[in-house]
Amino acid sequence: MGVLARTTCVAVAACVLAVGCGTAEREADLIAVSDSFHAALAARDGSGACAELSSEAAETVARAEQRPCPEAILGLDLPAGARASGAEVYVTSGYAQLLGADVVFLDDGPAGWKVTAAGCTPSSPGEPYDCELGG
Amino acid sequence: MRRFLRHNSLSLVFLALFVLALVFQAIAGHADFNEDQARHGNAELSLGRYVVSSEFATAVLENWQSEYLQFTLFIILTVWLIQRGSPESKEPHRAGRESDEQQMIGEHAHDASPGWARVRGWRLRLYENSLLIVMGVIWLGSWLAQSITGVAEYNAERLDHQQLPVSWSEYLTRGDFWEKTLQNWQSEFLAVGSMAILAVYLRQRGSPESKPVGAAHHSTGTEG
Repeated sequence: MGVLARTTCVAVAACVLAVGCGTAEREADLIAVSDSFHAALAARDGSGACAELSSEAAETVARAEQRPCPEAILGLDLPAGARASGAEVYVTSGYAQLLGADVVFLDDGPAGWKVTAAGCTPSSPGEPYDCELGG
Repeated sequence: MRRFLRHNSLSLVFLALFVLALVFQAIAGHADFNEDQARHGNAELSLGRYVVSSEFATAVLENWQSEYLQFTLFIILTVWLIQRGSPESKEPHRAGRESDEQQMIGEHAHDASPGWARVRGWRLRLYENSLLIVMGVIWLGSWLAQSITGVAEYNAERLDHQQLPVSWSEYLTRGDFWEKTLQNWQSEFLAVGSMAILAVYLRQRGSPESKPVGAAHHSTGTEG
């Protein structure tokens, strides 16, 4: 096998591994954050819930409700206590499917997974989900 | 060592250019990716993580597959198709797989012929098509890998816009996959086609890709 063919095989294998490896672990991390976020809402722990939000989502909530995030988030119609039934991650983005039709979108950053949009339900086919928070 | 370098300079220079270009593509792609991530309020990636991401893999593989398709097609089509006057083409009367004598196989092999060119059966069948097979396998492999990394990149983009991911088979029907594929194919087809026809009338002294400067325009299959 020539140098080019060998390089190609190694690169293709690396790409496949890059997509496949570690995915289950990252999905588990994402689910843990989603569950923690919804558990904090159920416990009426606004600070705990806001700690799981991306900085952009936390700012958006506070600005829209004209109140600090920990107060504002408890006034939103979010599925408090909902548990994730599954998740998928791609590059630095992911989502968790909650029991029911709701979905939560997250982003993977230096501080780990953070919620970017929550309380999301399907809208028209092919259209983005309607989200109570973010989106 | 000097002799080895001189005798393999073409392959070695292209290998070095490939590595350099790939490194700089990674650096430039990383900067562009992080700029885009910041614009969308998403997390940035380290260079190490970027080079194993589907973003980088797709950018590399979509070009690889089209290059290998180009050579795969060129190898197979030039068996039968002719461009009169082109050094890339055979003479019209040699179109086709040619005789065993012309191909120096079996009893027509000479002392320096490769071993599998001297035997009959599956080894000859395999060896006489080995260039096409290897180039074709690399083309299909890199195209498959492009589709796998491409769906990850496509789904990340969808998730950023609060849309659920699509499956790999569904991605193959999406415009994103075919746009990434065909934008590379069309440029390869244009480059090969234009090379075939331009080399009929234009010359580069000393290059085997060109006919000798003084060769007639209608002279086919002569290399300078």
